[in-house]
Amino acid sequence: MSITTVDRNPLIDAPAATPRRPRVLFVGAAFGAAASVLLVAAELAVYLQVRGQLASAGDATFPEGVVLPLTPGSMGMVTLAMSAVTISWAVYALRNDDRPNAYVAVGLTLLLGVAFINSTVYLYQQLDMAVTASPAGTLLYIVTATHLLMVVVGMMFIAVMGFQALGGQLTGRDAEGMSAAALYWFAIIVIYVVIWYGIYITK
Amino acid sequence: MTVTEDAPAPELVAPEPSTVAPAPAGLVAVLASGDHKVLGRLWIVAALAQLLLVLGASLYVAAMRLDLAGLANLTDSSSDWFSQIVTYRAIGGTFLVLLPLTIGLATVVVPLQVGASTIAFPRAAAAAVWGYLVGSGLVIGAYSIDGGPFGSSRDGIRLFVAALALVVVSEVLAWICIMTTVITLRAPGMTLARTPLFSWSLLIAGAVWLLTLPVLAAMLVITYVFVRYLGDDSGGIYARISWAFGPPAVYAFAIPVLGFIATVVPVFSATRHHLNRYARIAISAVGALVVGGWAIPSFVGESTPWLYKLPWVAVSFLILIPVLALVGLWAATLRKGRVTLASPLLFAVASLVMLLVGLLAGAVQAIKPIKTLVDGPGSSLYGTSWTIAVASYVLLSLAIALLGGITFWAPKLIGRSLREGAARGVAALLLVGTVLWSFPDLVSGVLGQGGDIPGPVEENVSTIEALNAASLVGGVFLALAFLGFLSLVVRAIGGREQPGDDPWHGHTLEWATSSPPPPGNFASLPEITSEAPLYDARHREASTP
Repeated sequence: MSITTVDRNPLIDAPAATPRRPRVLFVGAAFGAAASVLLVAAELAVYLQVRGQLASAGDATFPEGVVLPLTPGSMGMVTLAMSAVTISWAVYALRNDDRPNAYVAVGLTLLLGVAFINSTVYLYQQLDMAVTASPAGTLLYIVTATHLLMVVVGMMFIAVMGFQALGGQLTGRDAEGMSAAALYWFAIIVIYVVIWYGIYITK
Repeated sequence: MTVTEDAPAPELVAPEPSTVAPAPAGLVAVLASGDHKVLGRLWIVAALAQLLLVLGASLYVAAMRLDLAGLANLTDSSSDWFSQIVTYRAIGGTFLVLLPLTIGLATVVVPLQVGASTIAFPRAAAAAVWGYLVGSGLVIGAYSIDGGPFGSSRDGIRLFVAALALVVVSEVLAWICIMTTVITLRAPGMTLARTPLFSWSLLIAGAVWLLTLPVLAAMLVITYVFVRYLGDDSGGIYARISWAFGPPAVYAFAIPVLGFIATVVPVFSATRHHLNRYARIAISAVGALVVGGWAIPSFVGESTPWLYKLPWVAVSFLILIPVLALVGLWAATLRKGRVTLASPLLFAVASLVMLLVGLLAGAVQAIKPIKTLVDGPGSSLYGTSWTIAVASYVLLSLAIALLGGITFWAPKLIGRSLREGAARGVAALLLVGTVLWSFPDLVSGVLGQGGDIPGPVEENVSTIEALNAASLVGGVFLALAFLGFLSLVVRAIGGREQPGDDPWHGHTLEWATSSPPPPGNFASLPEITSEAPLYDARHREASTP
């Protein structure tokens, strides 16, 4: 029995590539993330401007007796850094059709999101400052509350995509929804790095 | 012998009840629609309704400037209603009329131009339009209870700030839908480099607004909290938001003007756009220069820390370079083609001339040594009525371009064409009205008349009053032109004459479908090998024996 071989040109005989998917949700999420980041960044810029002017006049940023604690802010930073790993895990798992791992990763990301909200609320309790105490204090609440709102929106986005994954809609190459949610979540983390450094570290 | 049997009698079967719900009609079809054409029309109709209010406010302010002594009494602290009308003219004109009108036209035209069956995120696009409708209504409501900037009703002021924030967020959402459509829903074969220039300009404009409007929203959020919790007065509100319609941010309104002109010039020259790629680069360069989010005022210090600083001066001059390059490209396009002086081309020429005058005046304003002609050291031109004229020229050039856009795309918007002769008359009236409205402000600015809210004038009073009278006449011309245009649209909607699918012999995909387009927009699309697929198709047919 002889074996015949057929020369194949991989460039000609390879199956046609599937058409590129319109990454509508991913692109839309990128624009939404950009708008959200700019919203928080503009508020932070005003806070830093007010704080700088108070410092140059020799005044304290916050009313007497109010100390901005470092620990809850840093805990929030660590929490969000861990969530960057878990959300990447979720996207990776979904792309590889590993749904059990994806569910665990999505659940952990949401849990870390709740932990971040908890750390910020704890910071507010430790701060023990009225919203009306001073302009800089008011701005601190505005910046952190807007970021908290971003976190809540991001968690809802991830939860919806998690449910879609549960329903079998996000698998393999079609895991774009989770990628979009992850992109928004990364934007949340990036802007928090700036907040953490600008508000809690440099004080 | 052939035997023909009788055909069996059809069985009488009772029709099954349809399980498909009938398509909604009437008001429900509008309220529940995610069709980009319906949503775009909603934006346009609402913006045109606001335009009537802004026109009224503008004419009132212009009339008050006829008596400068009386105006000084009006602008004292006890007459804050006049200042509120002045602020409504600016805020309403930009964020309640021109930007929504641009978004409306973009919502209808962009999906058609890129060959998409829908806009990206139709439900978000619907949420944006309804958010705008509610927000703009609440802005009017806030003004009506003395709550605008300089108002005295604290509840009204909070309502105003929250409502304007809702409008701004809605506009951001709408821009996200439009930009995502351009980037992701283009037809096969349409690369970004082949995107029609109007859609391209809206992608660039959307990017600029995406970098600007969230900053404005942040200022509104902070202002709301400061008014609510720290008892801030309403006087600072206007300073915190007026940067968004002053240079350089006001030039962002010019980007769709460039896209509109770049669309109609090749169509009415019956040729391709000369060096299309460079036009794309020039429009992008304008976009890169006019991101104005950095020019927000200091919250606790001086209100214009950026004034006469290098970035501000540089933008005022550098923006002329890409715009003049575009003028050269359009002149070359017109020269190599066969020009038809149709109404959209007249609108385009009028808007271009007004834009150029505005940009030149803006550059002159950025030269600090140029002072006003008042006794003593004089003051810089910025902050006088010269600044108002710069903004007026730029904003009115957009208004002219948008009305030209509605005229050009009327077959796709309303399924009818506007009367050509009357539309030409409107374009001419708009040009004359804009010149009469804005040019006297340039001169009176040199003579020392104040800007937005004019203060007392001590020199050249009679000359300035005469110039203000000329400006008022220009305002009347503009009002007549806008009202004439509205009546043209209404008459066209009531008419029966069908315009055909492609009455202008257009170059881009929106002309490859019926007028008005059906749900889903296209039955089939031509092959796309350039930025002008229909022009290509016509020439292929002509060259086929």
